[in-house]
Amino acid sequence: MSTDATILTAHHLHKTYRLGRVKVPVLHGVDLDVTRGEWLAVLGASGSGKSTLLHLLGGLDRPDRNKNGTAASIAFDGRSVTGMSGRQLDAYKATDVGFVFQFYHLLPELTVLENVLVSPMVRDGMGYLSSRAERRRNARELLESFGLGHRLGHRPVELSGGERQRVALARALVNGPKVLLADEPTGNLDRATGDQILAVLNDLRETMGLTVVMVTHDQVVAERADRIVRLEDGRVVDRPGPARIGASSSENRSQGDSGGDGV
Amino acid sequence: MYQALLTRKYLTSKVMPLLAIAAVTLSVATVLVTWAVMGGFLKTLLDSGRGVIGDVAITWPNVGFGHYEDLVDRLEARPEIEAATPVIETFAMVELPSERVDSVALLGVMPQGYDRVTGYYDTLWWKPLEERTPRDDERYDLRVVGPESGDDSSRESLKAQDRAILDQIEQQGRSMTRPDPETGRPEPGAVLGMHVSGENMRTSGGVYVPYTSTRFEADGGIGVTSSFLPRDGSIGLTLLQFDSSGSPVDAVTRRLPVANEFFTGVYEIDSKQVLVPLAWLQGVLRMDEAELLDPNWDPSEASPRMNPDTGELEFPQAPVVGISPARVTSVLVRGTGRPDPEAVRAVVEEVYAEFEAAHAGAVPVPGAIIVQTWQDRNRTLIAAVEKETGVVLFVFGLVCFTTVFLVLAIFWSMVSEKTKDIGVLRSLGAGTWGVAGLWLSYGAAIGLVGSGAGTLVGALVAVNIDAIHSWMGDTFGLVIWDPSVYYFTTVPYDLAPYKLVTVGVAGVLTCVLGAAWPAVRAARMDPVRALRFE
Repeated sequence: MSTDATILTAHHLHKTYRLGRVKVPVLHGVDLDVTRGEWLAVLGASGSGKSTLLHLLGGLDRPDRNKNGTAASIAFDGRSVTGMSGRQLDAYKATDVGFVFQFYHLLPELTVLENVLVSPMVRDGMGYLSSRAERRRNARELLESFGLGHRLGHRPVELSGGERQRVALARALVNGPKVLLADEPTGNLDRATGDQILAVLNDLRETMGLTVVMVTHDQVVAERADRIVRLEDGRVVDRPGPARIGASSSENRSQGDSGGDGV
Repeated sequence: MYQALLTRKYLTSKVMPLLAIAAVTLSVATVLVTWAVMGGFLKTLLDSGRGVIGDVAITWPNVGFGHYEDLVDRLEARPEIEAATPVIETFAMVELPSERVDSVALLGVMPQGYDRVTGYYDTLWWKPLEERTPRDDERYDLRVVGPESGDDSSRESLKAQDRAILDQIEQQGRSMTRPDPETGRPEPGAVLGMHVSGENMRTSGGVYVPYTSTRFEADGGIGVTSSFLPRDGSIGLTLLQFDSSGSPVDAVTRRLPVANEFFTGVYEIDSKQVLVPLAWLQGVLRMDEAELLDPNWDPSEASPRMNPDTGELEFPQAPVVGISPARVTSVLVRGTGRPDPEAVRAVVEEVYAEFEAAHAGAVPVPGAIIVQTWQDRNRTLIAAVEKETGVVLFVFGLVCFTTVFLVLAIFWSMVSEKTKDIGVLRSLGAGTWGVAGLWLSYGAAIGLVGSGAGTLVGALVAVNIDAIHSWMGDTFGLVIWDPSVYYFTTVPYDLAPYKLVTVGVAGVLTCVLGAAWPAVRAARMDPVRALRFE
């Protein structure tokens, strides 16, 4: 059941991939509600379907049509994502959600500043030209706020892992999305650097009211979130209740283990 | 917008696009040079007709036709006709100063009229050069340094003595006469095509040096022969006379001093044609004005009588019943401006019909007289060149079409390499058309750079093709353009703007075409798989 406080809902999500002639079912009817402003961790082992779930939520992929008649649905802020056309999905990805990946996925030929500017370029098309100065200023300020002001002209290959992930974060956030979808954002970082990234995420949630959906296989990382949803073999095995918005991470670390029906 | 940014970055950060650009550059340059040279050959072949026969020639071979002055007047009275001139076209054996004997096309002309139709004066080679070009400083050119001053090429201008000699030689060419060395009286002279005598050596700078040879003398000495035909050369001409029915009656040999030499750039003309004064040739061929004797007169009825003054026996002559006008074999016609030769031909045929009506029975009828354009005269060659141009372009175009597959292969590989980038762009909201547009614009950018460079290189090569050819000949002994095969002494080219645009645009389209399939592949790529691509 979704409420005004719910920004993202998913119901009856099924997904099966084909590997040659072999069908590999990944998700088996996943239901999920994400509350506005919360930091939700989807915890699962490798192959549990957590990245697939994130891709479906972000419009990168579409859920399967269910054979039992129940319609798979994803809604963002009351709008059906599953019913969107390809063009609407592109606009959704460019405006409403932002992606961060485990391996950063920065474009190697571009500088740090250009990597971030790609987002408004994709979103605005030719309109970018008229607001170019403003976009550049926003991107620069965002990178400076992430402590990358001295790295604007550097190529990704010249950055450390933590710096790269901060650039990726800036790229995901520069268009002002309401939800950040983070796929193992610390998976390729050492613990200390990972902690810094998590601290940034927490700070964004607290200062900007950003909703964060993070998938991870790391229990310790997941515990930094407000709420944890466990995924095993494509199924949500426990759905803890919504977190208290604004509560510190440490206060909520154990909520994922407390069980509950979810929202 | 991101397409422009990534296109610029991809273009400058990888080796593969540089290879694609190089391939496009070479292909575009190759096609352009081929088209320019083949087209130039065809264009020069067509244009050269004006320098040889004007636009149209009216011909009645061998026997020729009379009243041509009236025909010339009638033609020149028409606004469509700029000039017309009578000529005699025949063949002769020429004995050259080197004692070599060759066959040539002999043309009897009236120099002034012939110049008005063909621009003959401009083709005269031996004359003082009015302007000294920077290139002249680097080459020996008798017209610049003067025949008397030898190889002193450092002088800025001709000495007065040299200029006077060259002026005199030019005047000889214009009048087709040369002063008799003993009497100083002008006598008819021949003007030879530049390659007829074999006495002029063409340098890589494109100028001619009169031949200087050495020979071993019987007394053990070495003799030096320096031959500058317009000053001291002469030729022997053996030609056939025809009677009024066109049948050959006799072979006559005459010796003529060389007045000058001409250069049209058409090797066939420059190596096979000799010009002589029309009146002289008419006299030799008995085509000049003559008395018509009564064909019905019976000489047996007239008896010889004694001349009381001389005491000699005189035989009676047939009575003169008329005058047979002087004859020529052709009238050459030049249209006004740069007309379509076919339009000139139509006017000429119309005028000739009027002319024939005025001289009915005395000149060939319109249906029989031959009225030809330059293209008509060389139809076989021109048609062959046109066909060859098309075939060569098609073959080269086909070869260059492989560029499409080269670009396709390179782009296919790059799309594979950039799979993750495509996934990232899709995750940022880039649409399928946007991603396709990225690769198409990348292809277009490679096409623009490659085509631009190829067009520039091709144009530079085409413009300097003659110098490059000469350099290849001097350096590697490689002579591709043999003038005896390809008609012209220099390698012609035609770089019309439409050719530059066509080849350039085709180069860009080729790249876009080559990029199209990889672009579609990139656009249809599943973003999730793209992100997971290893």
